[in-house]
Amino acid sequence: MATATTEHYRAYSPKPFTRAERDSVTVVFGGLHWRVERVIQAVLENGGNKAEVLPVATKEDLLTGREVADIGQCCPTSFTTGNLVNFIKKKSDELGAEEVTKKYVYLTAGSCGACRFGQYHQSYELGLRNSGLGAFRMFLLAQDQLDQKAAMGDGLDLNLPMTLGCLWGIFCTDLVQDLEYQVRPYEVGPGQTDAVVKESVEYLYEMFRNRPRRDSWRSITWHLTSSYFTKALREIHRKFSAIEVDRLRVKPTVKITGEFYLQTVEGDPNYNIHRWLEAEGAEVYPAAIAVWMDYLLRLGLQRFEDYSGIERGARLKLGAGRVAQAIYRWNYARLRRAMGDLPHELPNQFELRRLAAPYFNSRLDGGEGDMLVGKALWSYQRKKAHMICELSPYSCMPNTMSIGAMAGVLGKYPEILYAPLEIKGDAEVHALSRCQMILTEAKKRAQKEFDEALAAAGLSLEGVRAYVDKHPEMKRATYRVPHGDAVGTAANLVHHVAQRLGRRG
Amino acid sequence: MPRVLNMWSTHQFWCGLFGALGIDRRNLVFSADTSEEQGRQFGKGRGTVDCCYPVKCIAGHYGELVFGQREKLDIVFSPMIYTVPSMLSGHVARTLTCPRVMAAPENIKGGFIKERDVFVEQGIRYVTPFVSLDEPKLVAKQLFEGGLREAIPGLTPSEMARAVEAGFLALRAFNNSLRKKSREVLEWCARENRACLLVLARPYHMDPGIGHEIEGDLQAYGYPVLWAQYFPTDPDLLEWAFGEDLRAGIIKSPFDIHDVWPSSYSANTNEILWGAKVAARIPWVACVVRLSSYECGMDQPTYTPVQQIVERSGTLFFSFQDLDSTKPAGSVKIRVETITHYLEKYAAAIIEKKKAAMPPGCPLPSQAAEKGPSASLAPSTAGST
Repeated sequence: MATATTEHYRAYSPKPFTRAERDSVTVVFGGLHWRVERVIQAVLENGGNKAEVLPVATKEDLLTGREVADIGQCCPTSFTTGNLVNFIKKKSDELGAEEVTKKYVYLTAGSCGACRFGQYHQSYELGLRNSGLGAFRMFLLAQDQLDQKAAMGDGLDLNLPMTLGCLWGIFCTDLVQDLEYQVRPYEVGPGQTDAVVKESVEYLYEMFRNRPRRDSWRSITWHLTSSYFTKALREIHRKFSAIEVDRLRVKPTVKITGEFYLQTVEGDPNYNIHRWLEAEGAEVYPAAIAVWMDYLLRLGLQRFEDYSGIERGARLKLGAGRVAQAIYRWNYARLRRAMGDLPHELPNQFELRRLAAPYFNSRLDGGEGDMLVGKALWSYQRKKAHMICELSPYSCMPNTMSIGAMAGVLGKYPEILYAPLEIKGDAEVHALSRCQMILTEAKKRAQKEFDEALAAAGLSLEGVRAYVDKHPEMKRATYRVPHGDAVGTAANLVHHVAQRLGRRG
Repeated sequence: MPRVLNMWSTHQFWCGLFGALGIDRRNLVFSADTSEEQGRQFGKGRGTVDCCYPVKCIAGHYGELVFGQREKLDIVFSPMIYTVPSMLSGHVARTLTCPRVMAAPENIKGGFIKERDVFVEQGIRYVTPFVSLDEPKLVAKQLFEGGLREAIPGLTPSEMARAVEAGFLALRAFNNSLRKKSREVLEWCARENRACLLVLARPYHMDPGIGHEIEGDLQAYGYPVLWAQYFPTDPDLLEWAFGEDLRAGIIKSPFDIHDVWPSSYSANTNEILWGAKVAARIPWVACVVRLSSYECGMDQPTYTPVQQIVERSGTLFFSFQDLDSTKPAGSVKIRVETITHYLEKYAAAIIEKKKAAMPPGCPLPSQAAEKGPSASLAPSTAGST
């Protein structure tokens, strides 16, 4: 029987992080992929803070996470909780626990909805407490309010310029990542793409770190009109142009979808699926964070759609929101143009909603909601990918629902190559072998499509290769092969060569 | 209507709504309680990906409605309940339901249309409106446009609006009647200085196939059992329980759980946290029994805080986690015996200790009453303290 105390239980409440501490305290964050994390670090530093990125979570972190928090966690919670605890422990070994409490604070995203993710902080807190690190300061960055000084102190000034910096950082790194994954499978010199990407991200880091400071409203205008970022992206485009590629390697295109953390991270938490697919001979179509944010905008605006005709002002708010969303998409397109229009465009959210409507209600939120279903159908119908690799964390609540709804989609379109992978963190062989079986089919489809393209054009592989050799600009990573009737890069190149030769491709 | 998930806390709304639309109650058919047999007979082969047992069971309920009725049904009505009205309000952020629960009708539908559309084949209309029951202004529109317009020929928006009002009235009346009954139980406990148990669970754990009737087993030992969702919310009782915290500025209202749970997104989770706070303060709640389904993502982060809230007050806390299709009768029996053993041994001391910790002015009667409880309230005396 427990011993009664007179004090009632109260939730964890960290000591505030004050402005006076800003020079001596490092803000720790993580959970995305390395490119965007590096740029967000620059944004925080630009705002006058010291910042450090958590290392990518590992299997060791998974085990720690399972050990120190309540049972029944979803896979990302175990990884991220263990990741934080192990990081703090390591720092404590180096500096002592008290010093770490003084010198570091952890900042993580909150949630707008009801799932385990919206309650992550409890697992973090429990993990820290169970590791004897209960005094460590952890702050939850709510997604639905900008000013959080009351909750976390004024040490971190989460102002509009900082938010815009993070947003533009996401745009730029999404574009770099997208191009990177289009180029690497075809690079002639192994490692060349990685080197260019590393160089490009460091270049972006400097650009964001030295970003001119503007006050709130001027900052919006500056971000939307300045050529500062387009120039930077053009420079990155130039760096990519030095990479020689062989696009006649026949590879299936695999679209990554799924739960936000798993589709974003690159490492043990998703079995390093991006690199694994590449190693298995695929071209990966990664999931852009900008698409996710576009979806959140759409989801938020649906509320005003529902209240239109019921509540005064709802239509006006909807109109204003639609304008904001149009600006968002226009800006992404503008930055994409600076990269030669090579990275994939943002899919139209209304099209995704329309495609998913017979199978999953657009008002259901949590996870990717109807977007998961919409993206699978969009990839198939718009010939964006041969296969969809859907990453779902073990026991993820909302994602499981969307995947369940996919049963109806597959009933109607059994030809869709859909690989829903439940990621547990420690059952890698099972998940990857399942993925491999579907990838084998995707490879066959890519080869068939390529053979058909050659046959339709009346060309041979050698003939196309000879043509490309005669036109060395086509071997550049930045040469734009139009997306034609085919899904795969190699087949589209054949169609393109055929057109240039005046043949029907 | 499938007798599942949030239907367990909103069924009176639907009965009131359809009654107001002129549908005879005899024509409203609920599926049976969840059972293994139901799943085996009607749901087999129609499951889609899910590891949440209460959601998985819906395939059996749908199957029973589609294939297992003596009379042919016209409509399977399975709303996607996005928010639910909550007894907590004002200082609780949201009243969202669990993402799995709200989306279950879409997920489970997948299993019934993947090979061929079973609903169409059976001549049944599948109506699954998205509905935010915590936003009354929206509900009529959501139901009307979400399938009832087509399902009930001639239905007008104004008829729909009136029916929604009737539904809310019916739901409020039902909830109030249960809270009144809980107050009577609590008053009897105070008068007799007897212990009661409080169940912290999701409403669907009242389904015998989901909650495995654990609370019923405990009640058989003579302990009154209350559910947190129907705990009395009378101002006098709440003022006594939370007045000190209110005056100290720790909370802004008796329904504020921010002091123990900063991310109050989910209605049922909030209710469980609030129930834990109540249990910690009401002396006659000598024991809390927590029920939770296998891999419940909404419950997982709350395990430790709920236990701590309860145990810090000296109240007994027992948790049945990971409930699923298996009902290990032997181990449940042993645990129930353990709980009652502890109650027999410690309940009196717990009540006294908690009474001493509470401020004066308890609105519940403290003297032994001349009259005992009504027959419906009197628990059996076997095994009681």
